Amino acid sequence: MEENLKWLWYAFGAAWVIHILYVATIASRAKDLRGQLDNLKSLLKDQQEKAG
Amino acid sequence: MTEAVSTKPDKLTPVLAVASATLVVASLYLIFVWVPTENSMGIVQRIFYFHVPSAATSWVAFIIGGVAAIRYLAIRDGRLDDLSVSCNEVGLVFCIVNLVTGVFWAKPIWGIWWAWDARGQSAMLLAVIYIGYLILRQSVDEPSQRAVVCAVVSICGMIDIPIIYMANRWWRTQHPAPVIGGGGVDARMGMVLAFTMVALLVLLWYLVRQRRKLAELQRETEGVRRMVHALG
Repeated sequence: MEENLKWLWYAFGAAWVIHILYVATIASRAKDLRGQLDNLKSLLKDQQEKAG
Repeated sequence: MTEAVSTKPDKLTPVLAVASATLVVASLYLIFVWVPTENSMGIVQRIFYFHVPSAATSWVAFIIGGVAAIRYLAIRDGRLDDLSVSCNEVGLVFCIVNLVTGVFWAKPIWGIWWAWDARGQSAMLLAVIYIGYLILRQSVDEPSQRAVVCAVVSICGMIDIPIIYMANRWWRTQHPAPVIGGGGVDARMGMVLAFTMVALLVLLWYLVRQRRKLAELQRETEGVRRMVHALG
């Protein structure tokens, strides 16, 4: 009984760790992209001002 | 001009976050406390309530992703490519959860970590196809070419789903014969299975919405980058 309970916890633990890690990667990728987008937009603005 | 990411306030995503969290917690209560323990396998059989709905949820995601890919090839709307990649990536997460929970169920019941049977292998093949799909997305730079190539892979990936479903009917496998719909599941067990399925589908909906926002942001960034390169 206790031996089998261990496997149940492993399975549910692993399942939720995978889901939580995935949500964390989405948040991290979104943060990186927002940073890149802000940099690119300011670069574009500078180029447009130089071009007149 | 590039298409800007929508700045409209998103009311549905927080509602889905709360709904999926509530449903998942309720399903965990049903799985760990409410449902009776199965006689032959004992407590470890409760993995079933997460293993099977995770597989079914991944199939739903891959089918929506595949249908979006077919629509993309017909009308070439980038938003359909966003939907397709979002469904396929989230579907892969559920598919991996299905494989991992299967491994932790197989070890105490069959005495082995992995049974090289038709259902297990076809389920692993599905994960490998969509890992390949995500690698392919990283390796093609031109957005429309990438969307077309990935749409074809997404459509081909769907072919494996009926094979997985039918595997334990077509071949002799380590997996048991179908129990759902055949009167092989106790009413309370069936109810918990259905409830968990609904909880995971709501979670899928939430995750796909979050992933779609990321895909839209990626498309906008690529568009601005192209403009910078054109002016520079």
